[in-house]
Amino acid sequence: MGALDRLSALGNQISGSPGGAGGRAKILEKHADDIVVTAALRTAICRGGKGQFKDTAAADLMAGALKGIIDRSGINPALVEDICVGTVLAPGGGATEMRAASLVAGFPDTAAVRTLNRQCSSGLQACVDVANQIRAGMIEVGIGAGVESMSTQYGPQAVTEFSELLESHPEAANCKVPMGKLSEDMAKARGVTRASQDAFAASSFAKASKAQAAGLFKDEILPLKVKWEDPKSGETKEIVVDRDDGVREGVTAESLGKIRAAFAKDGSIHAGNASQVSDGAAAVLLMKRSTAERLGQTILGKFVAASIVGVAPLLMGVGPWKAIPKVFELTGLTKEDVDIFEINEAFASQCLWCANELGIPQEKINPKGGAIAFGHPLGCTGARQVSTLLYELKRRGEKIGVTSMCVGTGMGMAAVWVAE
Amino acid sequence: MASMLEFRTPGFNPYAVKYSPYYDSRLAVAASANYGLVGNGRLFCLGLSAQGVVVEKAFDTNDALYDLAWSEINENQLVVATGDGSIKLFDLAVPDFPVMNFHEHNREVFSVAWNPVSKDNFLSSSWDGTVKLWSPTRTASLLTLPIGCCTYSVAFSPSNPSLLSAASSDSHIRLFDLRIPPSANYHLAATIPVHAPAPHPTRLGQATYAGAVPAEILTHDWNKYADTVVAAGGVDGAIRTFDVRSPVGGPLAVLAGHEYAVRRLAWSPHARDILVSASYDMTVRVWTDGSTMPVPGAGPGGQGTISTGAQLGLMNRHTEFATGVDWCLFGAGGWVASVGWDERVLLWDAHTLLRG
Repeated sequence: MGALDRLSALGNQISGSPGGAGGRAKILEKHADDIVVTAALRTAICRGGKGQFKDTAAADLMAGALKGIIDRSGINPALVEDICVGTVLAPGGGATEMRAASLVAGFPDTAAVRTLNRQCSSGLQACVDVANQIRAGMIEVGIGAGVESMSTQYGPQAVTEFSELLESHPEAANCKVPMGKLSEDMAKARGVTRASQDAFAASSFAKASKAQAAGLFKDEILPLKVKWEDPKSGETKEIVVDRDDGVREGVTAESLGKIRAAFAKDGSIHAGNASQVSDGAAAVLLMKRSTAERLGQTILGKFVAASIVGVAPLLMGVGPWKAIPKVFELTGLTKEDVDIFEINEAFASQCLWCANELGIPQEKINPKGGAIAFGHPLGCTGARQVSTLLYELKRRGEKIGVTSMCVGTGMGMAAVWVAE
Repeated sequence: MASMLEFRTPGFNPYAVKYSPYYDSRLAVAASANYGLVGNGRLFCLGLSAQGVVVEKAFDTNDALYDLAWSEINENQLVVATGDGSIKLFDLAVPDFPVMNFHEHNREVFSVAWNPVSKDNFLSSSWDGTVKLWSPTRTASLLTLPIGCCTYSVAFSPSNPSLLSAASSDSHIRLFDLRIPPSANYHLAATIPVHAPAPHPTRLGQATYAGAVPAEILTHDWNKYADTVVAAGGVDGAIRTFDVRSPVGGPLAVLAGHEYAVRRLAWSPHARDILVSASYDMTVRVWTDGSTMPVPGAGPGGQGTISTGAQLGLMNRHTEFATGVDWCLFGAGGWVASVGWDERVLLWDAHTLLRG
């Protein structure tokens, strides 16, 4: 009932700008058919091959996260009709073991399970697919999730050999150019300097270690008890993993500046300014607002819209630059309306370039750090960003957030979320 | 335009004007200080006398007033829509304070409408995204209908006491029928997407409606003769009429002319095709929706095209946003009261516009 609200409403009536029929005010409205998030969590994210999840299978991580969703939300597991898990490296798409994981987690056999693979955006795609299933009336309650065990499943077997036909088509053949090489080329072509990448990466480490020290990840991380083999003694023990072990304190642009480039002698990309190889799982419980109110679920936020775009395979890093404006177009938002952008830090070079090109201020991007600091378990990341975003928006008392990432073979995805 | 009566509301910017349904010489104006942004409201009850327009009664409120409705069962009573979320019932025989206060809305109440058929209840709509049904004798609402977004305008069907409609900022008119069981849809009977294209041929002919950019709807009203026809106006400046029996069939008529948002419109109580509209473009315009005109090029019966109606007259004496307009129910039929942010109430005969 503030005068400013009244003035802006009047202003919109006169200018005809979409204050009521679109834009921020419209997005913030609550409707019974909104798709809302009533639980969002993730496991800790741990270093691939060396971290605390190195001996834990992807399905075990997923089972833990799914059980966490039941425990935290208190939902009757029999009400969940479909679970979609984004996972990239699992042989056979991971379909069998994810179905099994849902049973372990406590879901009855009436809950359907499927997996999908849209590379680095698999976790987001899973959430979006489930939201759309609910919106279309196919199901009432569903879970979008993502998982990756890069410790156990990362390797050259992840891509099938290209046929002669594919190799004969130049742009098609570009789809299998390794990420590191094409990002190196893109950084060079777009003039993203090593110094700016290192500074961006150092700030990701700084933000993440500060957030970790302040306990800002506590709400989103589900502690998980796993078996772990001590590499020194060779003995296997049970540990509880409740913090991201890739986050390092004291990383500076100078210390990163000393690391040798990984993909080219005169290159700019190295282990310190690219995303870490990691293990982790995340899950998001989705339903209509009317359902949530009927079930007495606590609403964390809502899903508004998502966009998917294609870009040249060699320029896969520019995905967010194209996907974010598209989701703005779908929602009538502008970048000023958005309080936090969670843009996956596949490489400092591409994340930085996209942010600069879109004119997004640094302080709005990944306020708790990103994949450079704590890792990028491929299929998990998109679902992980949802809990990272919603809890941070809530903590700051802010409302609108965007999650986005570039996708291998040249795609980009973005989604708009509102914290409530 | 010879005969025009004027009344000034110094310090208050009117938002709405309504003629009494009982007396041809009485009308009321809901006005707010500082353009309704911050400050008090004042309700003026005006009388027409040999000395011109005089104040019969005035009531002050703590927050802005955005609308009013005369009681249909007591000639001395009327309700006002207040910025603090309350609805107040004033009685002209009781000085200074309201006789009833209805406070359930969480935000500004933007419109009130009294049931013209059953006469024993009234509606309110609010920025809080709800419409509420009230009895004048009870402080708690009888019913709350969820809309989900700011609802600027609410109205009863003039012929059916159970049928009501709400126009909101999401470019939709929602029709509620209180005879429908209160299922998950809360009595919702139909939804008219005002700006949506009509993909299928409307009525019998080939016409389709291409649609328009969705915009907020600020006002709507039911035709007093064709009881299934509703007119709506809003931010895009166009007035559209719809047949509620064909909610997604597209508009019957699109009346274009206003250069800014249409803030208020009212169908004539005297003729089936006439309506009047007040706009932020400072004009008040009188229209025919074309329903009584032969349509050139159309088949027998004139069906199959969207009428563009015709503007019959334009009143441009207001010097600020024209915000309220109403027809007098009595007399030769054509007296209109209009109000605007220029702190003026103007009473004039629409016939003089038609001739001019």
